[in-house]
Amino acid sequence: MKRKNWYLTVGAALTAVMAAWTILGFFWTPYDPSARSAADKYALPSLAHPFGCDYMGRDIFSRALEGAGTTLTIAAAVLVIGFVFGLLIGALCGYYGGAADAVVMRLCDAVSAFPSILLALVAIALLGRGKYNIIAALGVLFVPSFARLVRGEFLKQRDRDYVKSAKLMGVSDLRIIFVHILPNTWPVLLSGLTIGFNNAVLAEASMSYLGVGVSPTEPSLGYMLSESQAYLLKAPWFTAFPALVIILLILGVGLVGEGVRGQLGVEP
Amino acid sequence: MDEPIFTVSHLNSFYGRGKDRRQVLRDVSLTLAPGEALGVVGESGSGKSTLAKCLLGLVTDIEGELAVNSPRPQMVFQDPYGSLNPAKTVGWILEEPLRAAGVKDREERRRRVEEMLSLVELEPEHLKRRPAQLSGGQRQRVAIAAALIQGSRFLVLDEPVSALDVTLQAQIMRLLADLKERLGLSYLFISHDLAVVYQLCDRVAVMTAGQIVEQGDVDEVYDHPRHEYTKKLLAASLALDG
Repeated sequence: MKRKNWYLTVGAALTAVMAAWTILGFFWTPYDPSARSAADKYALPSLAHPFGCDYMGRDIFSRALEGAGTTLTIAAAVLVIGFVFGLLIGALCGYYGGAADAVVMRLCDAVSAFPSILLALVAIALLGRGKYNIIAALGVLFVPSFARLVRGEFLKQRDRDYVKSAKLMGVSDLRIIFVHILPNTWPVLLSGLTIGFNNAVLAEASMSYLGVGVSPTEPSLGYMLSESQAYLLKAPWFTAFPALVIILLILGVGLVGEGVRGQLGVEP
Repeated sequence: MDEPIFTVSHLNSFYGRGKDRRQVLRDVSLTLAPGEALGVVGESGSGKSTLAKCLLGLVTDIEGELAVNSPRPQMVFQDPYGSLNPAKTVGWILEEPLRAAGVKDREERRRRVEEMLSLVELEPEHLKRRPAQLSGGQRQRVAIAAALIQGSRFLVLDEPVSALDVTLQAQIMRLLADLKERLGLSYLFISHDLAVVYQLCDRVAVMTAGQIVEQGDVDEVYDHPRHEYTKKLLAASLALDG
């Protein structure tokens, strides 16, 4: 019996559309996202400005196109840092165990005990604002959750007979970890990655919303939301469209994660 | 007489550390001659599998003497679902031991895989499949092939047919007997099933509570059991066979 996997189909389609949106934003926007126009202040959505204009008369459609790129770049970089270090730490801790594992995992517990946004705020206060500082701060904060996820999977796998068998055949530890065990953890890691991606998008948006994100000259979806809150009643489209882009981005990737999990029969 | 495959004398082994350290094997002495199949029988928890792990170096907390003279002894596990990497194809699983042994030439690896495949009576079309796409019997054949492909001549078989149904059991037992004959293999055959041990083994050791209580030729032990525990085991298995 094979039921059609709607999560995966819809999620992949939505993600493809949002990816196309983002890539388009890197190369082309109908207007200069930073160009102001006094005549278009608070312009309603129209054919000329599909998403309307903001309090400075800037085209929201153009800003949402470019902002998606900024947000996604930061989210992707954060995810890569969190995942790569989380994978290394989690795999080594899970496979070898012992005292080093206990120490590292307690460190991870200590980091995750604080709300991550709070820690990121502290880091930004120390490092200063800017794209790269945000990436570094959020990236480090994403490491513990990935490390714990990966470690759990390696703990489950390391006592399986196929691992013993590989040891008997003289396969090196590193090869066992990355070539023998890692592929068996992908289903769980993939769904962890999609959740992590969504958290990264939201984290960037939250940071920018709080005004400690990217610099104001660079549109990001979170920063647009932050700017728009003063005009929520006067120009609701200023809030609605950036929020919609964030929601669709997260929904698409979330559905893909859900679909992958269903496809591979992994428990949540 | 040839040098024995392994010699174990007065072996004690332990699990756990500190306060939790407890003894599993007690004063175990055993040898295996080349070309011989030695059965180890006993109920679960009697220390049979621990003995196997000691021989393979998977349990290292031991006292006493232990010498294995066969290069790269391998193990065939009870559950062929767990002993084959579920993420890999049969071809990869069979090539990996060769890669680990430093066989760099791809053609050479392919050739040896195909040779081994026909020895265990599988078809080249199985190479592309993953373990989940094979039957239990086919999986166990792959596990046996992977254990032999590095050229090992001594295998530890840990309940290799206990997870299979009766028809498949008979096929795998026949294959094991056949391979032993053709390649001159030596087996340490661990089982709780006295009937399969009788089919394959020359000698048998009876274990309970970490000790060997009786060992000798299969016919001798089965016909004239001396120890009470052996008699009980035999009576139980006769009762089951009806």
